[in-house]
Amino acid sequence: MLVDSLISGFGLFMTPLALGLTLLGVLFGLLVGALPGLGPLMGIILLLPVAIGLPPVAAMGFLIAIFVGGSCGGSISAILLRIPGTPLAAATLFDGYPMAQKGRASDAIGIAISSSALGGLFGGLVLIFAAPALARVASNFAPPEYTALAITGLIAIAVISDGSLIKGLISGGFGLLLATIGTDEFSTGYRFTFGSHHMLNGFHIVAVVVGLFAISEMAYQCMSGDLLAKPKITVARPGFRSVLTTLRHWKNLLRSSVIGGFFGALPGAGGVISSFTAYAVAKAMAKPEEKYGEGAEGGVVATESSNNATVGGTLVPSLALGIPGDASSAVLIGALLILGYFPGPTLFEQQPEIVGGIFLVYLASNVFLLIAGILATPLFVYVLRVPKVFLIPTVLLLCSIGTYALQASVFDLFVMLGFGLVGILLRAASYPLAPVVIGIILGPLLENNLRRSLLISQDGYWIFLDRPVSALLLGINVLLIAGAIWFAIRQGRKTGDVSEVTGQS
Amino acid sequence: MLKKLLVAGALAAMTLGASPVHAEFPERTVENIFPWSAGTALSVSQVIAKAMGEELGVSVPVISTPGAAGTKAFITAMNRPADGYTIFDGYVAPLVLQPVLGNADWTYKDFKPLHSAVSNAFSIGGRKGETRWTDFEGLMAYGKANPGKLRYSSGSRNNLPHMVIAKVLQSYGVVAQNIPYKTDGDARKDLKAGVLDFSFVNVGAYLQDKEGFEILLVLSELPGAKASYDGAPSITDMNIDLGLSGLAPMGWTWWLVHKDTPDDVADVLRAAMKRAMNRDDVKEQISRVGFVPLDWDHTQYDEIVGPVAGQLGAMSNALAWEEEELKKLR
Repeated sequence: MLVDSLISGFGLFMTPLALGLTLLGVLFGLLVGALPGLGPLMGIILLLPVAIGLPPVAAMGFLIAIFVGGSCGGSISAILLRIPGTPLAAATLFDGYPMAQKGRASDAIGIAISSSALGGLFGGLVLIFAAPALARVASNFAPPEYTALAITGLIAIAVISDGSLIKGLISGGFGLLLATIGTDEFSTGYRFTFGSHHMLNGFHIVAVVVGLFAISEMAYQCMSGDLLAKPKITVARPGFRSVLTTLRHWKNLLRSSVIGGFFGALPGAGGVISSFTAYAVAKAMAKPEEKYGEGAEGGVVATESSNNATVGGTLVPSLALGIPGDASSAVLIGALLILGYFPGPTLFEQQPEIVGGIFLVYLASNVFLLIAGILATPLFVYVLRVPKVFLIPTVLLLCSIGTYALQASVFDLFVMLGFGLVGILLRAASYPLAPVVIGIILGPLLENNLRRSLLISQDGYWIFLDRPVSALLLGINVLLIAGAIWFAIRQGRKTGDVSEVTGQS
Repeated sequence: MLKKLLVAGALAAMTLGASPVHAEFPERTVENIFPWSAGTALSVSQVIAKAMGEELGVSVPVISTPGAAGTKAFITAMNRPADGYTIFDGYVAPLVLQPVLGNADWTYKDFKPLHSAVSNAFSIGGRKGETRWTDFEGLMAYGKANPGKLRYSSGSRNNLPHMVIAKVLQSYGVVAQNIPYKTDGDARKDLKAGVLDFSFVNVGAYLQDKEGFEILLVLSELPGAKASYDGAPSITDMNIDLGLSGLAPMGWTWWLVHKDTPDDVADVLRAAMKRAMNRDDVKEQISRVGFVPLDWDHTQYDEIVGPVAGQLGAMSNALAWEEEELKKLR
């Protein structure tokens, strides 16, 4: 059945149009991913009108390739500029940027692209071999399980907060508070909107991320001086040895890809949560000498393999059940419907050639990502040789264009600038920025699924223990929290004071 | 040399100054403000926008502006100049329902219609293999015997499916708990997983997985809607009088512009949208998704939308009734 669909789809896939558009999609995806503000979703929406006039596999190849390229592209600006091009790459800058600072920008990008492609290929294998089965498992994840998973994600803040756990938790709490702004899904009442219609859906996550990271970074770059200096950086082509470097972290690669594929298959979870979780797990399992947060290759491997494996995972419920895994796959489903094909079990039975063709374009997207990305790396790294006097205004201009394009909204530009100021203040006081993003992403997931669970439950909070998977996840969470407390106390005793935990000096 | 420059500058200024007078609408991008998040409905609007853009000679991007049951998009569009460069994707929820519920201070008469776009029928669906009932009457009997125990979803809260389902339940005296979801797909997933007892199912979702749902009641009297669900029972078959007819129990959108938009500008947009909606490729692409392309033009706006507003207004107490009854059971 599986082999049949791949063989029957091969003819639709192996056309100059399908192959050419898949390559074009990857390049366009890398571009929209690398530019702050834009991302894979915006790229797919922009080109959907073009795609729906094409043959089905070529059209889906084009759009899926944008999804694949866009999910990786954000890492380029994260590594080079300390600006995640998309929220997906927010965790990549933990180690990617320090690598670039140490003169290993080409290596970092090479590893990011290799990890993305290999993680994506792993996601593709999951998609091909386990789509219907995994979709059935994922479809049994209900609000209580999502609540427990959101708590697990919040615990990740404890792992990724370098220096001060308390400051990390405060930043995460700030993100959770920001997530409460907008229209309450349950009462349909407005919260903290202050009478402004701009606030009815809260702050746009991309405007917040661009402000926090990009604006604050550009301000710090200005303050550091040397605006006219032309950095003398040797642009080394990483070559395909990056693949070998990445494969040396094969355990991390495999584990992070599994995490990415799993979170992708859960509708509503998404790549941001998977990349932070994969990073937290990799860091927790790493040896101290690997020095996560200071330019560890493993950090880049973990985040980039997981967020691209998420793409493959996202396509699982989308194709097998017709349920979108995230906003980008929702648009992909829309495109498939317009093209005349209904994603779901009947697609696998009645049009296996389309399913096979989609599997093949997805795999090809990742192969093209690897080749095109590695070849183009010197071009990306050239950015570091541009004097700041040109680089900073260009980045600010691109940030503004990308953020405005989200909703054609000037208000989003003010949000970006406002959070730029917040980012500067947080960095000045040594508060980590990433937990803010985790809080904003996980806030609605936690709150809405908790409230939804309680509405569904006929028995109050017992619903969380009545369901075996939910109970298991909560048990794991309790162990993780106990472990984090034990670790913090042990560290405190070793150093003889509590500054390790509180960050006070 | 200076003289030449001055003359050239003066000519350029005259040309620039004169251009708005002789300019033909549209000179630049016309934006469609879409009230929901990215998904199938946005793709449908993109199909129409693409064709309309081809007719106008400029692009018509669809800008997703979700929030507050669609009212954020309407307020955003209203705050733009009334120059025809902003189109409201006038879904029934922000256009008619939210004003009826007191969440918006406009009526459908406050806009200038371009052309009707699409409608989307929906139904009440259960999962296959349900043993507690076999049909809609059985579901209602179960609900009556177990007040407050049934859980259902209409996607988000206080939307049109919620109101129509609440009205059906009210007519049977059945109290059930509405569970809001961010996306319709999540609700359908939980229906299949046994977390929910029934849910609203639109045509597109049904076409994607016919074997996954047992359509219990098609919430439309239109024969075309019943046919879309392969002849499942409809409100006409059940003799349920919801007081709703035509488009009233369905999702639909009618593209609009600000009421102060000059007539000649609105006419250009109307003509372009009419040509777009008459195109076979557009109709085919819309139909594939399970949406129905509509062919009412602006002259029929009051005639079609007026009764919808009246009927939805008359049944606006259904949501309050549901809430009150659930409170009594707590």
